[in-house]
Amino acid sequence: MTSTPSEALSPPRVPTNRQRPLALAAQGFRELLDRRRLIRYLVGADLKRTHADTIFGQLWWIIDPLLQMAVYVVLVSVIFQRATPDYPLFLFAAVLPWKWFSTTLNDATQSVVNRQSLIRQIQFPKIVLPMAAVTAGTVSFAIGLIALGIVYLFFLHRLTPWVLVIPIIAAVQYVFTLALGIALGALNAFYRDVSNVLRHVVRLWFYLSPGLWTLQGEHAFVPEGHWARPILLLNPFAHLFESYRSVTWGMGPPDWLALVVLLLLSLVLLAAAVALFKRVEPAFARIL
Amino acid sequence: MTATTDPPAPSVPDAPTAAAGPDARAGDPAIEVRDLGIRYNLRLTRRTTIKSSLPSFFGRGEDAPRHFWALRHVSFRLEHGESLAVIGPNGAGKSTLLLALAGILEPTEGDIRTFGRVSTLLTLGAGFEQELSGRDNIDLVAAFLGIDHREMAAITPSIVEFADIGPFIDAPVKTYSTGMKARLGFAIATAITPDILLLDEVLGTGDQTFRARSQARVRELIEKAKAIVLVTHDLTFVSEFCNRALLVERGQIIREGAPAEIVKLYRDRVNELKLLAEAEAGRFALMPGG
Repeated sequence: MTSTPSEALSPPRVPTNRQRPLALAAQGFRELLDRRRLIRYLVGADLKRTHADTIFGQLWWIIDPLLQMAVYVVLVSVIFQRATPDYPLFLFAAVLPWKWFSTTLNDATQSVVNRQSLIRQIQFPKIVLPMAAVTAGTVSFAIGLIALGIVYLFFLHRLTPWVLVIPIIAAVQYVFTLALGIALGALNAFYRDVSNVLRHVVRLWFYLSPGLWTLQGEHAFVPEGHWARPILLLNPFAHLFESYRSVTWGMGPPDWLALVVLLLLSLVLLAAAVALFKRVEPAFARIL
Repeated sequence: MTATTDPPAPSVPDAPTAAAGPDARAGDPAIEVRDLGIRYNLRLTRRTTIKSSLPSFFGRGEDAPRHFWALRHVSFRLEHGESLAVIGPNGAGKSTLLLALAGILEPTEGDIRTFGRVSTLLTLGAGFEQELSGRDNIDLVAAFLGIDHREMAAITPSIVEFADIGPFIDAPVKTYSTGMKARLGFAIATAITPDILLLDEVLGTGDQTFRARSQARVRELIEKAKAIVLVTHDLTFVSEFCNRALLVERGQIIREGAPAEIVKLYRDRVNELKLLAEAEAGRFALMPGG
């Protein structure tokens, strides 16, 4: 029955607060790799849970972004009368990625707190929780692309092969979201205010990002040379939205340089977030 | 190695695998705890918001204690074949000790070293996902516990059989009754034979028939495990199953020894405390003859 006879006592533990950040980050990444099966199960459970009690069920993945797009179309083209040509498609470059980002960030922030009873009963690497939350959102984004296909039926003249680049832009967004989600998931365990503040920050963030408007070309809302431009361009979503828009609105390739820089920064941020998470992880069972 | 704490080990007849037997493993350490301390930060516990922690920044909360040592300077050693009872009043730190041995709480001070797979029966039904089927939940909980999925696939049939929930095993857990959930949770928690078994008096779940079966299962696990730590208020259970006992009070080990001796000591102290409390109450009562 017993497995390996040569097993000895577990090695003496190195206290978490005396480990170096890089070692902690490496340990966190190793745990994510080792527990990929657990992450997969959690993603599956998450997908089954969302929309499980609704009449349209999984169809909501597609209906939801379309309705949201309709709301913005009414708001901007009817009320403000500022719409750019082919506005529904123009908007969709922002609506779908933003829905992915905001729900995912919210889920990741809550992920640790939502499992508090389990954390007090089983010893497992807690970092799988925000990881699973962010990954589950990715699936909903992918399904939401069907909605993009539906919108294209009305704007076929805008369709170019560049839409095939969407997964690459999404990968950059994924790394960025994962970094934020892991950090916020850890912080929210200590201060529940985080999730309350987050909701409003995320909304403001959207309006400050070129989602309903653009920074590019003849329709630029904030023209070239305006003092606010450099500040607005510090926002990662300025580059993400404009990249999505380039490829979906038929404006050619995305800004590759911006994407590469953003990816590298996100990777650094991710390592820092994982190290932070690992550093505070032992406290979860004590404070939750 | 075998220096300090070991008592003369009076062999209790019912103790699993006598420590003096010719077993090559007997005498090897199973758990080694050295100067263990667990400290809670009282300012961060439970649903803190920034607002509620503000007073402590502005001095108002300053006289409130910031830390609480649930355990301090705890050292003991458990060998293969031994079964240790931890007894003491409520709030003494017994459960904290169990959580620390299970690896759920990280020591603030000192060191815990354990041998092999540690399992706790704290986990009944923890981690169930309502939308998933019973079968998927078995996989999920096993993945949380870090059990290899091939090993789990092999024992899943026995779990399903033991839980005795029939065709419901493929229905979402949200459709289960409380009893069914408890049975499935128990079946999962006890499916794996651990090297070290930690018990926090989880001995009765479900209806009468299932309770009998679950107790038989726990006994079986106790016999198979290489070492057991049991937290309980059931003092008869202590003398039946354990060959050593610890008396814990206010986060410290008061005495370590044979179960009979420790149980007696504990009873005496409880009585003493009760008398003291009664005397105290009498002094404060305004009526004569309190």
